[in-house]
Amino acid sequence: MTGPPEEHSCLLATFDHEEDLLAATSEVHRLGHPIVDVFTPYAVHGLDRAMGLRPSRLTWVCFVFGMAGGLGMLWFEHWVSALAWAIDVGGKPWNSLPSNVPVAFEAAVLLAGFASVFALFWVARLFPGKKYRPVIERVTDDRFVLVIDQADSQFDASQAEALLKPFNLVDLEERVLSTGGTS
Amino acid sequence: MTPNTLSSPLTSNRMAVLATFAAIVLAAGAAVAPERIWSNLLLVGFYLTTLGLGGALFLALNYVCGASWNIAFRRVPEAMAVLLPPAGIGLLIVLALGRERYTWHAHGDAGTFWFKELWTTPSFWMLRAMVYVGLWIVFSRVLVSVSRRQDRSGSVGLSLLNKRLGAIFLVVYAVSFSLASFDWLMLLEPMWFSTIWGVYNFAGTIQAAIAGIIILSLLLRKRGPLQGFFTDDHLHDLGKLLLGFSCFWMYIWFSQYMLIWYTNIPEETSYYLPRTQGPWAPLMVLNLVLNWVAPFLILLPKPCKRSGSVMMKVAVLVLIGRWVDLYIMIFPSTMGSTPVFGVWEIASGALLVGTFGWLFIRSFGNAPPVPTGDPLLSESLHYHC
Repeated sequence: MTGPPEEHSCLLATFDHEEDLLAATSEVHRLGHPIVDVFTPYAVHGLDRAMGLRPSRLTWVCFVFGMAGGLGMLWFEHWVSALAWAIDVGGKPWNSLPSNVPVAFEAAVLLAGFASVFALFWVARLFPGKKYRPVIERVTDDRFVLVIDQADSQFDASQAEALLKPFNLVDLEERVLSTGGTS
Repeated sequence: MTPNTLSSPLTSNRMAVLATFAAIVLAAGAAVAPERIWSNLLLVGFYLTTLGLGGALFLALNYVCGASWNIAFRRVPEAMAVLLPPAGIGLLIVLALGRERYTWHAHGDAGTFWFKELWTTPSFWMLRAMVYVGLWIVFSRVLVSVSRRQDRSGSVGLSLLNKRLGAIFLVVYAVSFSLASFDWLMLLEPMWFSTIWGVYNFAGTIQAAIAGIIILSLLLRKRGPLQGFFTDDHLHDLGKLLLGFSCFWMYIWFSQYMLIWYTNIPEETSYYLPRTQGPWAPLMVLNLVLNWVAPFLILLPKPCKRSGSVMMKVAVLVLIGRWVDLYIMIFPSTMGSTPVFGVWEIASGALLVGTFGWLFIRSFGNAPPVPTGDPLLSESLHYHC
């Protein structure tokens, strides 16, 4: 995931339709060729399954930070209003749990939200001012690109072309990409 | 279809027998403990009516959103909505029998307040009840019949018609259901009031309806008619909705409780005082556990939302929680300070299950198991969430 970017010799297979891309991706994944990434103009449903991606771990970030926010704020409110400077509000006990719930809830939502967004930025290496370099220009418009790592030197362009031809392959290109952080 | 499926006349007959038997027990009980039987019937009537109403609400929401994911199992909320005429009329009879208890002076000297006295006049109060139920019956009937007409014509126009009707129904529902829950449940204690009461009851209604849709769709998938149509992706999204509305219910429950707890004014705390003391306190906790703690913790992981057996159990817990929620709303007002549970409550539970099962199976069997004429059906069948 992290680590210095590595130079990889890759195959860029371009398709015109999402159905072709999905079928080709499943086939490439089934044969065990490492998929670097897939680029599409819009979110294609079922692509994660076709690529064989493991379930996102972002939900754990959200859960852990949500719990931390909620419990942390409950403790803080208790410390403020019952321990550090006990305040009598309307004759209620100092450690009145119901009055702590709204702020604890908000803190849980806030921390869970921020943590999820920043964890995503971190993992995807997104930051303000980052240059966007699409693998091909039309991937933002009407083309779908499947990037395969040529880890196995036996798997060359001609083999790949034979494999992907039945899926209405539009274009196949060999290119050296730096893949650090994209997987 | 194998015999003894959910849609078979055999199961339907068993449900009808169960409901009839429970009704006879309750009728006999009316001679012994009329107050308690009436409270039970109010609970069952309101529960059944809101399940039907929840089905219609689910349909309307999805039409208005332009959603297609739900079409594969849309016949389930449709068959639930068909419950409304019999359940609503049954509830009206129960209300008519108890209309005198809702009057302004039924609970001793409440002072004079011309608006509330007018509002709780039995004839006006009963007329409003008939208007609410009548509106719900008309809208749910039309929504369902338009969908069934589409089976034959396959016209896109009928989807658009239901979209418009659904939008109107949502507005009509919001107003009429708020007033109905004020009139039928909140006025059991006429001196007490809570402006969030309508939202609170809406939350319970939609949560229970989604739990009902989950159970029925899973049963229909297991025993035949929805096999191959109702997928794990549909189940996953219903699970998300159940998780969301469980949290919504808890949010509203707490909003009502916290404001009253905080201000601590006697005219407002009169509702919670008897309900948080003695044997009611554990019931109050049970209510929160069944409707929020359990569904929240169980439904967080993705595999649970995609597992039929887990979802079935959670949905059953939520429906039991709905019963407990209504029990806590109704029984302290009508039966006094000690919770009662015995043969009458079991009989009323049997009446609830029997009537629901019997009417649901009958109405589900009246139409194809999937809306074959909906232009977006294939989109729903290939749905990935």
